[in-house]
Amino acid sequence: MSDTAVAPTTESPAVAIKKVRKKRPIGFYIAASWIGLVLFLGLFGWILPTPKWDASFFDSLGVGPFSKGHILGTTQDGYDEFAGLVNGARISIFVSFIAVTVGGGIGSFIGITSAYFRGTYDKIVVTFFNILLSIPNLVLSLALLSVLAYSDENHPSSTNRRVVVLIISLIVVIIPILGRIGRGATLQWSSREFVLASKSMGTKDFMIIRKHVLPNVAPALLAIGFLAIGSVIIVEGSLAILGIGVPGGASWGSMLANGRGNLEFSPWEVYCPALCIAFTVISCNWFGDYVRTALDQREAKI
Amino acid sequence: METLLMLLRRLFGMALVVVIATFLLSCLMWLLPGDPALLLAPGTPAGALQAIRHQVGLDRGVFGYYWKWLTDMLHGDFGQYYLNGGTRSVTEVIKRTLPVSMQLIVYAQVVALTFSIPLGLLTAYKEGSRFDRWTSSVLFTLVSFPAFALALIMSLIFAVKLGWVDPIGYVKPSEDLFKHLKLMILPVASLAVGLTSSYTRLLRNDVIATLKEDYVTMAASKGISNKRVLWKHVFRPSSTTLLTSAALNMGGLIGGTIIVETIFVIPGIGYEIFYSIGARQIIAMQTLIALVSFAYVFFNTTVDLITNITDPRTRERRV
Repeated sequence: MSDTAVAPTTESPAVAIKKVRKKRPIGFYIAASWIGLVLFLGLFGWILPTPKWDASFFDSLGVGPFSKGHILGTTQDGYDEFAGLVNGARISIFVSFIAVTVGGGIGSFIGITSAYFRGTYDKIVVTFFNILLSIPNLVLSLALLSVLAYSDENHPSSTNRRVVVLIISLIVVIIPILGRIGRGATLQWSSREFVLASKSMGTKDFMIIRKHVLPNVAPALLAIGFLAIGSVIIVEGSLAILGIGVPGGASWGSMLANGRGNLEFSPWEVYCPALCIAFTVISCNWFGDYVRTALDQREAKI
Repeated sequence: METLLMLLRRLFGMALVVVIATFLLSCLMWLLPGDPALLLAPGTPAGALQAIRHQVGLDRGVFGYYWKWLTDMLHGDFGQYYLNGGTRSVTEVIKRTLPVSMQLIVYAQVVALTFSIPLGLLTAYKEGSRFDRWTSSVLFTLVSFPAFALALIMSLIFAVKLGWVDPIGYVKPSEDLFKHLKLMILPVASLAVGLTSSYTRLLRNDVIATLKEDYVTMAASKGISNKRVLWKHVFRPSSTTLLTSAALNMGGLIGGTIIVETIFVIPGIGYEIFYSIGARQIIAMQTLIALVSFAYVFFNTTVDLITNITDPRTRERRV
C-alpha cells in the first residue's frame, strides 16, 4: 500500500473503490463465473434440453460420462447425472439463500441491537450465542432435524416438512455466526463520534442504527454472509451423507450420499456432486474474501 | 485476588452455558411425538415401561427429568442405552469410543501443525513472492474444501482406484500399529487439510506483523542468522493465535469428526452421537452432546484464561 499512501486526501471512497477494482485477482473472476453458472442453472436450468432429473432410464443404467443423451452419465439406478446436478443447484440456491438471509437477518438484528444498547440485554444475547456456538453446527442441526422432522410408521413426516425443518435448523446454525460478527462490528462503530453527535441531537435509537451503524457494519456482514452460504452448503451435504438431508436424492448432498455405495462402479456419481459442492463453497469464500478486502482498503484510505 | 475473581466468574459462565444448552436439549426431546419411554425402548411391555420411565425420570416432567439427568451426571452415572430389550451403560460406550476419536483428532492436529508451522513462517518471510502467492492461494482454496468431499474423493482415488489403503475400517494401535496407522491416513488427511490451511494463514499473518517489530530488525542487524531470527525471535511471539486456535479446535473437532467417522466407519464418539440420535437414545444423546459442548466450552475458557494470565497485553486490551 506504500505507493498509494500519498494519494490526495480529497479522493472520494467511490474513486478508491474503482481503483481497487482494477486489480481484481484472477480467483475473483473464476469464483464469480462459477457462482454465475450455478445461479443460471438453478434459476433457468429447466430451459436446457436435459432429461428429467427424477425419471429413471432403464435402458441406460450406470453409463459413463459423455455417453449419448447423458452428458455426465447416469447413476446405477438410471438417473441422469447432469439433470440431477441442475436440479441440485436449484435446491442448494433455495435452501442456502433462505437460510442465510433469514438467519443472517435475525442474527445481525440481535447482534447489532445488543451491541448498541448493551446492558442486561447484551449479556443475555452473548450467553445465548455462546450456547448455540458450544454445540457443533452439525450436531445442533442433526438434533433439531431428528426431533422436529421425526418420522416413523405411526408418525409419518412429509417431504415438505423435512425441507422446512432442514432450513430452520440451518437458520439456527447461522444466527450466532452472523450475530457475533454484527455485534463485534457494532461495538466498534457505536462508540464513534458521529454516533455520539447524532445521539446528542436527540435522534431516535433505531434511526441511528439504520442511518449510522448499519451502513458501516453491512460490509463485514456481507463478507461473512458469503462464507455462511458456503457453510450452509457444507452442513446440508454432511446431513445428507448422514442420511437426513433433502430427501429423494434431490440436493447435491443427497446425490453424493446415494452415490457413495456405488463408488467402485460409477465414481462419477460421487465426484460430480462432490466437485460441485466444493467449487461452490470455494467460490463463495473467494467472493466473500474479495468483498472483505475491497472494503477494507476503503476503510484504510479514509 | 482479581485473577481469582475473574476465574470464578468465568467458571460460572462456563457452567451456565453447558447447563442451559443441555436443558434446551431436554426440552427438545419433550417435543418428540408419542411416549418418550416407548421411543427409548420400543417393544417393551407396559410394566417394564413404567420402570424405565421411573429410572430415567420421565415421570417427573421436563424440569424433574432434567434435574435427575444433571444430578446423575454429576454423580458419575452417565445413563443407559435401551436397546433390544437390554441396557448398555453410556460410560462404557464413552470409554470405548472417546480414545478412538482422540487418536483421530490428535493425529490430525499433529499433522496440521507440522505442515503449517514451516509453511506459515516461510510464506510470511517471503511475503509477496511467487511462492507466497501460490501457497496462499492453494491453501485458501483447500480451507474451504468440505471435509466430506475430500474424504470421498480421496477414498475414490487412493482406496478404490489405486488400492493403496483400505477404504474403511479401524484397527486398535495395540493390536497392529502399522495397520492402524495405514487405516488412519485417509481420515486424518481429510481432517488435516482444512486445519493446515487455516493454521498456516493464521501464523503467516502474525509472523508478518512480528517481522515489522524493531527488535527483529535489531536481532538481524546484530548478525544473527535469518533462520535463528525466524525460529527464536519471530516464531515464539507469533505463535499465540495459532496455539489458541489449535486448542479451540480440540473441542470443535469432536463434533467435526462425525462425518469423517461415518464415511470411514470408525467407531468414535462422533459416530456414536449420530447413532444415538438416529436410534432416539435420548439419554445417551444428551450425555454425549453435553460432553462435546463441555469440551468445547472448557477448551475455550481455559485457553482464554491462559492467554489472559500469561500475556499481559491481552489483559490491558480487554480493560
